[in-house]
Amino acid sequence: SHIFKKNQDLTKARKGKTEQLLKIDEHDFSMRPAFGGPAIPVGVDGQVESLDSISEVDMDFTMTLFLRQYWKDERLSFSSTNNKSMTFDSRLVKKIWVPDVFFVHSKRSFIHGTTTDNIMLRVFPDGHVLYSMRVTVTAMCNMDFSRFPLDSQTCSLELESYAYTDEDLMLYWKNGNESLKTDEKIYLSQFLIQKLHTTSRLAFYSSTGWYNRLYINFTLRRHIFFFLLQTYFPATLMVMLSWVSFWIDRRAVPARVSLGITTVLTMSTIITGVNASMPRVSYIKAVDIYLWVSFVFVFLSVLEYAAVNYLTTLQEQKERKLQKRFSCSCGIPHSKTMMLDGNHSESDANSLAGYTRNQMVPEEEKPEKVVVHVAMSNESNSSRKRGLKGHVGLRIIQNTHAIDKYSRLIFPGTYIVFNLIYWSVFS
Amino acid sequence: SKREIKMRKLDSTKVRPLKSEQLLHIEDHDFALRPGFGGSPIPVGIDVQVESIDSISEVDMDFTMTLYLRHYWKDERLSFRSNKNKSMTFDGRLIKKIWVPDVFFVHSKRSFIHDTTVENIMLRVYPDGNVLFSLRITVSAMCFMDFSRFPLDTQNCSLELESYAYNEDDLMLYWKHGNKSLSTDEHISLSQFFIEEFSASSGLAFYSSTGWYNRLFINFALRRHIFFFVLQSYFPAMLMVMLSWVSFWIDRRAVPARVSLGITTVLTMSTIMTGVSASMPQVSYIKAVDVYLWISFLFVFLSVIEYAAVNYLTTIEERKQLKKRGKASGMYSMDAVQAMAFDGCFHDTDVDMDMTPFPDPCEENETRASQTNISNVDTPRLRRKRSLKGNVGRIILQNNHVIDTYSRIIFPSVYIVFNFFYWGLYM
Repeated sequence: SHIFKKNQDLTKARKGKTEQLLKIDEHDFSMRPAFGGPAIPVGVDGQVESLDSISEVDMDFTMTLFLRQYWKDERLSFSSTNNKSMTFDSRLVKKIWVPDVFFVHSKRSFIHGTTTDNIMLRVFPDGHVLYSMRVTVTAMCNMDFSRFPLDSQTCSLELESYAYTDEDLMLYWKNGNESLKTDEKIYLSQFLIQKLHTTSRLAFYSSTGWYNRLYINFTLRRHIFFFLLQTYFPATLMVMLSWVSFWIDRRAVPARVSLGITTVLTMSTIITGVNASMPRVSYIKAVDIYLWVSFVFVFLSVLEYAAVNYLTTLQEQKERKLQKRFSCSCGIPHSKTMMLDGNHSESDANSLAGYTRNQMVPEEEKPEKVVVHVAMSNESNSSRKRGLKGHVGLRIIQNTHAIDKYSRLIFPGTYIVFNLIYWSVFS
Repeated sequence: SKREIKMRKLDSTKVRPLKSEQLLHIEDHDFALRPGFGGSPIPVGIDVQVESIDSISEVDMDFTMTLYLRHYWKDERLSFRSNKNKSMTFDGRLIKKIWVPDVFFVHSKRSFIHDTTVENIMLRVYPDGNVLFSLRITVSAMCFMDFSRFPLDTQNCSLELESYAYNEDDLMLYWKHGNKSLSTDEHISLSQFFIEEFSASSGLAFYSSTGWYNRLFINFALRRHIFFFVLQSYFPAMLMVMLSWVSFWIDRRAVPARVSLGITTVLTMSTIMTGVSASMPQVSYIKAVDVYLWISFLFVFLSVIEYAAVNYLTTIEERKQLKKRGKASGMYSMDAVQAMAFDGCFHDTDVDMDMTPFPDPCEENETRASQTNISNVDTPRLRRKRSLKGNVGRIILQNNHVIDTYSRIIFPSVYIVFNFFYWGLYM
């Protein structure tokens, strides 16, 4: 019964059938097919499985693809009745000759090894070979960020033989432009991937000669939505918030100052946040232009209030000087206060000229006040100015500074114009 | 069968098994010994083509470079007869069978020979025994960096090649084409640095235990682009200092405003400084950017101290005035708007505020007030003091402290002078 079973094991009868079949030991496979003769043409075919990541900081991209190579090696031909091919895994690769294609400008790459090496070898009876592997490669891509985040990047993956020049090995795309296929849904969260296409060229190395180089080119267009939400929108809101300060009473000093300064601080934080995930380039990016111009607007609103405050104080001092010139030596508190705060019903020792209430003294009240004044005071108030109703009082009572009035229109107008120019230039 | 025999005859590699080995007489020699063993040292020429400088890390003080390393030497044991003097090209599998120089990178942290799709190795043997051995390697090597002028600095780094086992009695390492042995890819560029020069040099290195070795150096100088740091650190710091000067133009009576302005600029400066140190190694000396940021911080800090001084001196001044005029009641009511200017809070109705520091002019007020009270009960406001006469009022109303006036000129000019010195020194 044992003997019977042994006879039935077809693979056991002849030891090392593959090797016998493919006559591995009879040839020296460290030398290429047609060694010493014409260049061997090797066709390349690819299917991109995914684009794993694009890194701006490292300026590289990571791609996983199925790489297939086709060539003819007559030493591997075998006789076959039904013309069917034989399929092998990676263990045969070490024993025969395979093209030594590598990825130029790659940083890290590997052939996947789970659960076994992801390599396939298929040999046809006439000696044609199909060699397929699954590779993940991280390659360099020079990126230009001058229009970031409204930019498009063009990257390419380059294949070349390491040892064999174009006199020994001719690398070409097997189906021309159709050699590269992509999985149904190749998808990146931040980019829109435009079509991948293939090209080929010759590359010259001064020490070693001319080599065939194949390119896989693709263009990535960045989705702006994330940056709109993360950077542009907050910056615009901060600028608008700084305009609120022009509508607040100029006498509210702490309010306007802290509004201005806090918007400056927030803009500064937004700017720092953007640069955290970017490479340190030596030119200005589109997003930098927007953020810095917005920062300047916010900064100017703080300076605008400083100017308003300073001019108000000057005005106040002028009024005081004016008042001193008019008054008699004894000083008439009543009229002084009248002049300073525009309302004789108020008088403070500590007059806050310029910060006073905005009330006109109604004409009718005056006679009363005169009477009252005469009755209560023993000072000579007769020289009290009635001239209050002149433009002196009007100036003081006017609580909106001209600068504020103009700023309410100029700042928004200029910012809108800037936005129109910016989006039309970069979009 | 007949066909098979015919096919066998046509296969030129089959006739002599393991043709490469027979051709190169691998079995005849012991390739564990170097060429010319026991005799004069073997000269090995080196040629390098730098593909890219992948990254420069300040924190780790290293750089990563990908290069093609080519070795040239003559091994007569590998010579073969050839009528057309053409070289034979092999891939990585022959390396294990012959002798190759054991060059390593001194001071390297990590390195590897790329191995996708196969090991990126090339061997080319000429009929007279000259060998060209080429590798594609990525190496991370140490570079001692001096940051005392960061970010206006230039770093000099070098990659060093040396044979591990053979000292200069056995192996002479030299640059094959002198200074031209080093070539770079067309567009080698770094985002943050400008590569000033690539040069090759050689020297001897002495190891006390093992002797003198030939060492080859690949030197390059990297000049940092300052633009990024101007945008990220210098410019915000400058703006913060300017913003702190705004405080000198604001009325000194607006206490909350000036204090919050000062303290918020200090906070922002502190944030900028933390941001710069995040991506730097923790060195024990001061960097150029630290000098700038700390001095700017000092300016901003002094503006806060300046206002504290102004406020304190104002208080003393008013107390002096108060003493001069005698005591007066500290409480008086103000109307809502005036109160807002003092404490920044919105009041609905008139408030009674304790304004002792702001002197209440004299007893006359009180007498007058009482009189007023008698005559005008329906206007409670008349109860308030109405003094404010004479130079008392003048001093209080003089809203510019002399310190502020001088600060407006001194701070900006000292800062500008500092900037001239700084940029003149470091540029």
